[in-house]
Amino acid sequence: MGKEIIEHGFTWNRRRFLSAMSLGVGSVALGSLLMPDLFKSGGIEDEAFTPGIPHFAPKAKRVIYLFQNGAPSQQELFDYKPKLREMNGQEIPPSVRGNQRLTGMTANQASFPLVGSFVDFKQYGNSRAWVSDLMPYTAKVVDDLCIVRSMYTEAINHDPALTFLQTGSQQGNRPSMGSWLSYGLGNENKNLPAFTVLLSRGIGNGQGVYSKLWSNGFLDSVHQGVQFSKGEDPVLYLKDPDGMSRKDRREMLDNLSELNELSYKEFGDPEIATRIRQYEMAYRMQTAVPEVMDLSKEPDDIVKLYGPDCLVPGTFAANCLLARKLSENGVRFVQLYHQGWDQHGNLPFEIAKQAKDVDQASAALVTDLKQRGLLDETLVIWGGEFGRTSYTQGKLTADNYGRDHHPRCFSIWMAGGGIKSGIVYGETDELGYNIARDPVHVHDFQATVLNQLGLDHEKLIFKHLGRRYRLTDVSGKVIKDLIA
Amino acid sequence: MKNKLRILAEQVLVALNILIVFLLIFTGKLAVPFWLQPIGRMHPLILHFPIVLLMLAVAMDIYRAANRNINSSTLYNNFSGFLLLSGALLTGITVIMGLFLSREEGYEGDTLSWHKWTGASVFFLASLIYFIRNKAWYKTPATWISAGLVALTLMATGHYGAVLTHGEDFIMQPVYANIQKPSVPVEQAIVYEHIVHPILEKKCTSCHNPNKLKGELALTDSMALAKGGKTGKLFVPGNPDISLLLERVHLPLEEKKHMPPDGKPQLTKEEIMLLTLWIREDAKFSQKLIDLPEDDSLRIVATAVLKPETNEEKYDFSPADEKTVAKLNNDYRTIAPVAKGSPALDVSIYNRDVYSTKQLDELGEIKKQVVSVNLNKLPVKDADLKSVSQFENLRRLDLNFTDVTEKGLDALTFLKHLHTLTLSGTKLSFNGLKEKVATLKNLKTLYVWNTGLTPGEIAQLKKDYKGISFIEGFKDDGKDTLKLNPPQVKNSEMVFASTTPVQLFHPVRGVEIRFTLDGTEPDSIHSPVFDNTTVIDKRTTVKAKAFKNGWYSSDVITFDFLRNSFVPDSAVLLKPLNSVHLAEGAKTFFNKKLGAIGANNPAWANFWAGVRNNDMDLVALFYKPITISSFGLHYMLEETTGIYPPELVEIWGGENESKLKLLATIKPPLPEKGGKPSLETLETLFKPQIVSHLKIIVKPHVEKERRFLVLVDEMFLN
Repeated sequence: MGKEIIEHGFTWNRRRFLSAMSLGVGSVALGSLLMPDLFKSGGIEDEAFTPGIPHFAPKAKRVIYLFQNGAPSQQELFDYKPKLREMNGQEIPPSVRGNQRLTGMTANQASFPLVGSFVDFKQYGNSRAWVSDLMPYTAKVVDDLCIVRSMYTEAINHDPALTFLQTGSQQGNRPSMGSWLSYGLGNENKNLPAFTVLLSRGIGNGQGVYSKLWSNGFLDSVHQGVQFSKGEDPVLYLKDPDGMSRKDRREMLDNLSELNELSYKEFGDPEIATRIRQYEMAYRMQTAVPEVMDLSKEPDDIVKLYGPDCLVPGTFAANCLLARKLSENGVRFVQLYHQGWDQHGNLPFEIAKQAKDVDQASAALVTDLKQRGLLDETLVIWGGEFGRTSYTQGKLTADNYGRDHHPRCFSIWMAGGGIKSGIVYGETDELGYNIARDPVHVHDFQATVLNQLGLDHEKLIFKHLGRRYRLTDVSGKVIKDLIA
Repeated sequence: MKNKLRILAEQVLVALNILIVFLLIFTGKLAVPFWLQPIGRMHPLILHFPIVLLMLAVAMDIYRAANRNINSSTLYNNFSGFLLLSGALLTGITVIMGLFLSREEGYEGDTLSWHKWTGASVFFLASLIYFIRNKAWYKTPATWISAGLVALTLMATGHYGAVLTHGEDFIMQPVYANIQKPSVPVEQAIVYEHIVHPILEKKCTSCHNPNKLKGELALTDSMALAKGGKTGKLFVPGNPDISLLLERVHLPLEEKKHMPPDGKPQLTKEEIMLLTLWIREDAKFSQKLIDLPEDDSLRIVATAVLKPETNEEKYDFSPADEKTVAKLNNDYRTIAPVAKGSPALDVSIYNRDVYSTKQLDELGEIKKQVVSVNLNKLPVKDADLKSVSQFENLRRLDLNFTDVTEKGLDALTFLKHLHTLTLSGTKLSFNGLKEKVATLKNLKTLYVWNTGLTPGEIAQLKKDYKGISFIEGFKDDGKDTLKLNPPQVKNSEMVFASTTPVQLFHPVRGVEIRFTLDGTEPDSIHSPVFDNTTVIDKRTTVKAKAFKNGWYSSDVITFDFLRNSFVPDSAVLLKPLNSVHLAEGAKTFFNKKLGAIGANNPAWANFWAGVRNNDMDLVALFYKPITISSFGLHYMLEETTGIYPPELVEIWGGENESKLKLLATIKPPLPEKGGKPSLETLETLFKPQIVSHLKIIVKPHVEKERRFLVLVDEMFLN
C-alpha cells in the first residue's frame, strides 16, 4: 500500500499540479465573491471625504437644535410615570438603583424617597403620546414629533455631559456638532456662517454655556459657531465704525487681501486662506445679518404663533423665530441654548416657568417650518444633556421637591428632517430610572443626526495629531427605527 | 449469533409493519400520554438517519445489479442488506414518532396527511424491498424501479415535512423577497390587504395556516383572522390595549406564549405599530388608505411602507462638468451636488437686492442636472418662471414669499418630474389655481399657507386633488387668546440727575400702554395712555400695563426711577469690600448701574458692592459745597441666603473731615423669615445742609456672632 502511495505521488506531474492549483485558485475567487469587503480593509483613504459634499442624498439639509441647558426633568415633561405617584415617599428599591454613581449633591443623602410628578399628563394626537400639562402647545404638535424617551449618556455633571452631546467627547477641544456639519456640508448661503449660536436664559436655576461648546476644535476655523447676541450689535465687531463707508471698507479689504495672499504664498498656512475668506464673508454679512435679525416685518399671525415674547430680543421665543429665519436663509446648524433647567430644588415652581418659556415657541417653530415646506429638510431637536432622578433631592414636602442629575435615561424630541413623525421611541421602567427598551446612546443619536444629513458618521473623519477623529468617536450606530 | 440478531431484527420489522398499519387505521383515536410526547418530538431529529441509510442501501443495490463480480460477493450483499434492514427499522420508528407528534396540537390539514402517507409508504416500500431483494427474479430492472420509488417517496415525504416545519416557500423565500412585487399605488391601497396581511404572511402564517393550525388559529385570510383561535378572539376593534394578538407580541421573548416564538423572525417595531394602529382604528378589512385623514398615524406610517425605497433617487442623466459647476457658483448663488457621486444639483439663490433672472438663465449648461431650485423671498415675477422651466429634471421648486401668482404656473407645466412646490406667502387666487394644479402632472405636495386662499377653498382643492397634499399652516382664528407681555422701558439708566423722560414701549404692534405714577395699579379706563410725553423730576414708581384687542392685558410691571442730584468729585472706601462683591469700589454707588437678583445674572456679579466682616465706610468729597436734604440707598434682600439689610446707616456731613456731624440715620426693617428676595430703596429726609464732605457708614446686621452680608449698588443724594 505504501508503495502505491509513493508511486501515486510520482505520477503527479507539473501539469496536474498546475491544473489542480488553478482550480484551487478559482475556488478562492468563487468564495471571494461572497465577501465584498475582502480587499477593503483600512481603505478609509480610498474614499477620501470631500468636504462640503454629503456621502449620500440627505433627508435634512439643516438642523435647529433647541438645547435645554441644565437637564429638564423628563418625569415632569414627556415620560409619564403614574407609578411614581403611587409610591411617592417610598424608598427607591435598591434593585432599581443598582450601583448607579451619584453626584456629590445627593451621595450623602440618608434616604432616597421616590417622588411622583406634581403635574398631570394626558394623551394627545393620533400617536396618543403622553405629554404633561406643562407643555400644552407642544402637545398640539405631537403628531409632528418623534419623542425619544430612552436617551442615555455617560456623564453625570453639566459641563461634561453638555460637551459630550455637542462634541462627542466629555473633555472638549473637539469640534462641535455644528462645526462637523459645516465641515461636512459646507455653506448653503455664503453670506451667513454655516453654524450660528443663540443664547437665552429662563428663570430657573441655570448652568453656564461656554464658547468651547461651539468651537471648531481641530477643524478649520471657518467652521466655528458664530454667536448672535441680542441688542443693537448681534454679531460683535461686524458693524463698520461711524464714518466708514462701504466703499472704504471694500477698498481696505481688497488691499488687505492682497497682502494676505502674499503671505499665504510665502508660508502656505491654511489659516491665512481662512482669514481671507472670513473677511469676505464678514463683509457680506454686514448686509445679510441686519436683514435676518429684523423681526419687525414678521406678520401678526407669526407673533401670535410664537407668542408675544418673540419680539423681545434675547428670549427663547425670539431665538426660535430667529432660528427659523436663519435656517430659512440657509444656515446649516442653528444652535440654541436655553438655560435654567437645573431643578435640584424648588422643582414644581421653577419647571413650570421654564416650560412656559419654551413650550409655545418650540411648537411654533415646528409649525412654522412645516407651513413653509422647510420641516422636510430641517431637523429640529429639543432636549437637554441628561435626565433627572426619580427620587427627590433634598427634602420632600407636600408641594415641593427637587431632582438630581440622572444620566441613565432622559427624553428628547426631534421633528422633521426625515425622522419619523408621530411616534414615541423607547421606554423606561415604571419608576423611570432605567431604560426598559430601545436605548439610544448619545453617539447613536449623533450618528442618526449625521445620517439624516447625508453623512456617514464612520466616514466623516478628520485626521489630527496622527489620529482620525469622528463626532461619534469609536462607537455609535444609526437608529434605523427613528428614520422615516 | 449474527444470524440470530438478523432474524430478530427481521421479526421486529414485520411487527413494526403490523403496528404501523394498525396505528394508521386508528390515528384518530390515538391518545399519546405526556411522557411519550418527547418521543414524538424527536421525530425531526431521528428522521435524517433513515433517509441516509435507505438512500445508501438502494444505491448499493443498483451498484450490485450493474456489476456482476460484486454480485457474487457475500460481504457486499450482506452489508447492503444490513443497511436496508436498519434503514427500514429506523423508518418505522420515525413513522411512529411522527404519528405521535401529529397528535399534538396544531398539526392538521392536507400537508400533514400527505406527509403521513408518503412517510408510511417509504416504510412499507423499504420493508418490501428488504424481503424481496434476494429473490431470483429481483434483477436489474426491478432494482432500478424500487430504488427510484424509494427516492421519490423519500423526497415527497421530506418536502411535506419541511413545509410543516418551515412553511411554504422556505427555500425560495429570499429570492421572492428580493423580486420587486408590483407595488400598489398608495391611492389604491387597502389597509388590510396591502399592509396588515403581508405582515402576517411574512411572520405568522408559517405556523398559523389551515395546514398547521397552531393554537387552532389561521392568519391566512380575513375570515380566519376575525374568527380567532383556541384562546379566543384575536383583537377587540378599537382597543389594541386588550387585544390578544398584541398581548402575545408584547410578552417578553423568553415567555412561552410570546409570538412569534423565540428563534423565529420577530416582528419589527414598525410592524407592531402598524398592527396596533390598524386595531385601534377598528380593524377594518376594506378600509382604503387614502380615505383616512391626512394626519392619521396609520396613513402616515403605512404610506411610508408602501412607497418604494426613495432613499437614493436614481437619476437618468449624466453629471455636469465639475469645473462648470464651480464656475457658476458665486457669492449669492450656491450650486451643490445632492450627494457624492450623484449627478443631481441643488440651486439656492439669496439676497433680494442682487437677484435677477440672469442668475437663472446663466445655468443653461447645467439645466439637465438641476433637481431643486430655492428662490424663497426673492422678488421673482411670474415671467421669471420661464427661466425656471429650462430645468427639465426639476423635482422641487421653492417660491415662498415671492411675487409669483398662479398665472406663472403655466411655465411649469413642462416640468414633468416636479413633485414639490412651495407657494406659501404668495398671492394666489383660487379660480386660476384650481385649473392650474391639474396641469402639474407629477405634483405631490403644494404649500399654500398664507396665500389668501380661504380654508374653504383649500378644502375644495383637497377634495378635487386627492393625490396631492395641500399644506396649510397657522392662521389666527382668534380662538387662542394670549396674554400680552408687559411693556418695557427704553431708558438706558433708571437713575437720573434732574429730569428724565419716561420711555416705555411695547414690541407688539398696536398695543396701548396705560400707566400710573402714584403707585396704584393701572387699568384700562382711568389710567392715562402712554404717549411718550411724560417727564419726571423726582423718585417715581411707574406702573404700566399693556392692552390690545384680541389679547389678554399684560401683568402690571413696575419701573422705579431714582433720582440722584449729586455725584461726588471724589469718593473713597475706608474699609475693604467683601472680595466677591467688589463691583467698581467706591465708584459703584454713583455709577447709575443697578444690580439684580440671581447669581447667574451679570448685573449680580458686577454691580453689587458688599460687606460682611466690617462696616462700609464711604467718604465722598465735593469741590463745590452742595445743599442736601435727603439720603437714600438701594440694596438687596435675600433672607434665605443671608443677604440682609444693614443694621444701621449713619450719614455724617460737614465742611471738612473735622467738622462732621450726624445728619441722619436709617434703621431698615429686618426681613421676614423665608421671604422672597427683593430690591429695596430707603430714603431719609433731614434739614437742608451745606456740605462738601460726607461720610456714610453702613453697618452689617449681626446676630449672635453671625454676620450677614449687605449688598448696596446705588446711593442717592438729593
